[in-house]
Amino acid sequence: MYILEIDNLSKYFGGVKAVDDFNMKLEEGSITSIIGPNGAGKTTIFNLITGIYPPTKGSIMLHGHSILGLPTYKIVDLGLARTFQNIRLFPNSTVLDNVRAACHDMANYSVLEGFFPSKRRYQQEKLIKDRSMALLETVGLADRAEEIASKLPYGYQRRLEIARALALNPIILLLDEPAAGMNPEESQNLMEFIRKMRDKFALTTLLIEHHMELVMGLSDYITVVDFGKTIATGTPKEVQSNPEVIKAYLGYGDKK
Amino acid sequence: MILQQIVNGLSIGSVYAMIAVGYSLVYSVLNFSNFAHGEILMIGSFMGFFLLSVLKVPFPITLALSMVGAGVVAMAIERFGYRPLRLRKAPTLYFMIAAMGFSVFLQNLAIIVFTPNFRTYPQLFTLEPILLGQVAMGRLDLLIFFISLLSLSILSLFIYKTKIGTAIRATAYNYRVASLMGINPDIVIGIVFFLAGGTAGLGGMLFGMKYTTCPWMGALTIKAFIAAVVGGLGSLPGAVLGSFILGMVETFASGYVSSSFRDLFSYAIMIIIIIFLPSGLLGKNTSEKA
Amino acid sequence: MSIYIQGIVYLFSINLISVMGLSLLTGFTGSFCFGQAGFMAVGAYTSGMLTKLVGWPLWLGIICGALAGALISIPIGLPTLKLKGDYFAIATLGFAEAVRLILENLQQYTGGARGIPGIETMDSPVPVLIIALVIYVLIRFYVASTHGRSCIAIREDEMAANCIGINSPRMKTISFFVNGLLAGLAGALLAHYVGFIQPSMFGMAKSTELIIMVIFGGMHSVTGALLSTVMLTSLPELLRAASIWRLVAYGLLVVIIMVVRPEGLLGSWELSIASLKQIWNNLFNRKPSVKEGN
Repeated sequence: MYILEIDNLSKYFGGVKAVDDFNMKLEEGSITSIIGPNGAGKTTIFNLITGIYPPTKGSIMLHGHSILGLPTYKIVDLGLARTFQNIRLFPNSTVLDNVRAACHDMANYSVLEGFFPSKRRYQQEKLIKDRSMALLETVGLADRAEEIASKLPYGYQRRLEIARALALNPIILLLDEPAAGMNPEESQNLMEFIRKMRDKFALTTLLIEHHMELVMGLSDYITVVDFGKTIATGTPKEVQSNPEVIKAYLGYGDKK
Repeated sequence: MILQQIVNGLSIGSVYAMIAVGYSLVYSVLNFSNFAHGEILMIGSFMGFFLLSVLKVPFPITLALSMVGAGVVAMAIERFGYRPLRLRKAPTLYFMIAAMGFSVFLQNLAIIVFTPNFRTYPQLFTLEPILLGQVAMGRLDLLIFFISLLSLSILSLFIYKTKIGTAIRATAYNYRVASLMGINPDIVIGIVFFLAGGTAGLGGMLFGMKYTTCPWMGALTIKAFIAAVVGGLGSLPGAVLGSFILGMVETFASGYVSSSFRDLFSYAIMIIIIIFLPSGLLGKNTSEKA
Repeated sequence: MSIYIQGIVYLFSINLISVMGLSLLTGFTGSFCFGQAGFMAVGAYTSGMLTKLVGWPLWLGIICGALAGALISIPIGLPTLKLKGDYFAIATLGFAEAVRLILENLQQYTGGARGIPGIETMDSPVPVLIIALVIYVLIRFYVASTHGRSCIAIREDEMAANCIGINSPRMKTISFFVNGLLAGLAGALLAHYVGFIQPSMFGMAKSTELIIMVIFGGMHSVTGALLSTVMLTSLPELLRAASIWRLVAYGLLVVIIMVVRPEGLLGSWELSIASLKQIWNNLFNRKPSVKEGN
């Protein structure tokens, strides 16, 4: 069974068909990439999956259950975590606090208890802190834990966003252009990192990317989107030799 | 009787329209509610008052000077308060707080400088109304209505038919892209504030002529906000439409229900629109891009 | 304690209670509430009317005032909390003005513009001060908790907060409720300090004053809110002169703060053992000890 099944997904904004009949069947544990030119509707697909706005038509099934109409936080609770194209960290909070914010599930002391000190609270807070620091270690940001997020260099901000997403213990990780602004070496490191995460946390990863080496080197499957429409889908080899794709992206192998 | 109310409604509606348009203009470009808008209309109103009653400046010149004066004040507020925030890409909350600060500052400064008294504009016309059949229309009301309509027409000509107007609309639609196209946002925004201030000043003066002038008349801005929201924040035609609707509702509520609860009707309308039709009658629903 | 000092302590404590609620709602959850006076009015009139007209004991009236403020936040919050920043601000403003209007016009029940005189007053400001300081501590704990972090996340970026599983409508409602509770409490205490209540006490000036107290100290610091409340309550009393000029200065100061140092006086700094130790270390130039946890 597919962990995520998307059928006939469409989103029309007035007359604009941002996403038109998008279909995808995510295999558990796979790394799938969505590629296509800017404005092709890729981020819109992410937004639809995470419930930021409802689709015009189509269905999205997580483990066989529809997640249509659920508020975003519930969808996230079910195991979907995402990063953003334009990085949305909590700018005035510290690196550590950004990750801790995502660990709210690890604390079940009530709102009322939040106003008082208690043993249970301190124990849970310690667990949260330890876990957050561990995640920061994984992305190499542990020594910057007390720095303010907005002051971090760009590359580190991306890492922090990923660490925060991982803190949610997701089963599916949605990464929106994680390699944006990275040089080839950084992209290579990112590639290793994503593979390592997939192996370590048993993640299914869905990626939006422009860096072709990353996409080709990392993905098990690729879906090509243009003007909201799916124009090809398959393994990297299949997609690379697909005449439709080649037609749409003559010279698309250019690095960003 | 009903016709009479309609005339009243149109009159107050046109005053609201002047204020709401400026408010909506600023909102459409900077995406925030300028809480200091009310104090700008107040300054325009006082300017008009002093020019007319103390300096005995002829009416048309007073009108022009008050508008320019208010416009300049608005530009100054933008230049010293909002621009630094804009350049720093500060969150909208900071703009709102700064606006509140200006509002408090100007209002209390006015209380000190102008004294906390109500001022009445000198009477320009006879009180004898013009009779059209059964309906008695105050000359002042007619004048207000026509001045408003004229100004709104000029404004819309400016915004829709001139190059600068196009620049304004482009910046309102997409700030970043407009600046990439060579439009200098600082200049455009300065002009926007001048226009918003000018119309507000005019509205203030008209209100002063019909009712009264006082340092805390900036509270009128809430009505402008309600009108702009009803019509659709960010939409200029919407602001005008909303203003007339509000003017009508207020007049009828005041006439047929109770004048002291009149404002409650305005708030009620605002709540209803905000909940059920947040983009207003003519506004576009701009949702956040992820 | 002289009557004069008593007055300052009363006023400071009452303001602080209200400011703590506002700090949580506006400072830490990011919802710009422009109608604090409305909630205070609800608390004040509830308590005032229950004690004076129905004859209930003082403390019961005050508790009911606080609860009234909290309860009314629910129907008000439901439609408004989902609104964007400035809509929410104006909606809360509209609420406060509507409350004032209603109070002014229901002559029979509320005494209209003249209000209700002869309300029972408290004997000493000390219990009020203690309550205020305890509330400060409670808010500190809350802000540092996981729920506080969720509120801060919402303030920083509500969409991102949703995308890490935070139920923002729920958290905002809780903050709004707590604010209503505290504002209602403050209003009730105000009624029993001054001894009478009038709608004019709960106008825009009051709401603005309270917001300014939150901003001065720094929206990201509870301690900052406390310190600025100290300053802005005691200074005018001590200076006595020109209360209008005070507001002129406040307005200008708010703009200057936003432009120059929006973090306010203290930024995100909070009074704590760790932060005091750090100051101590810095003062005496000692090498900071092994990095302690929060």
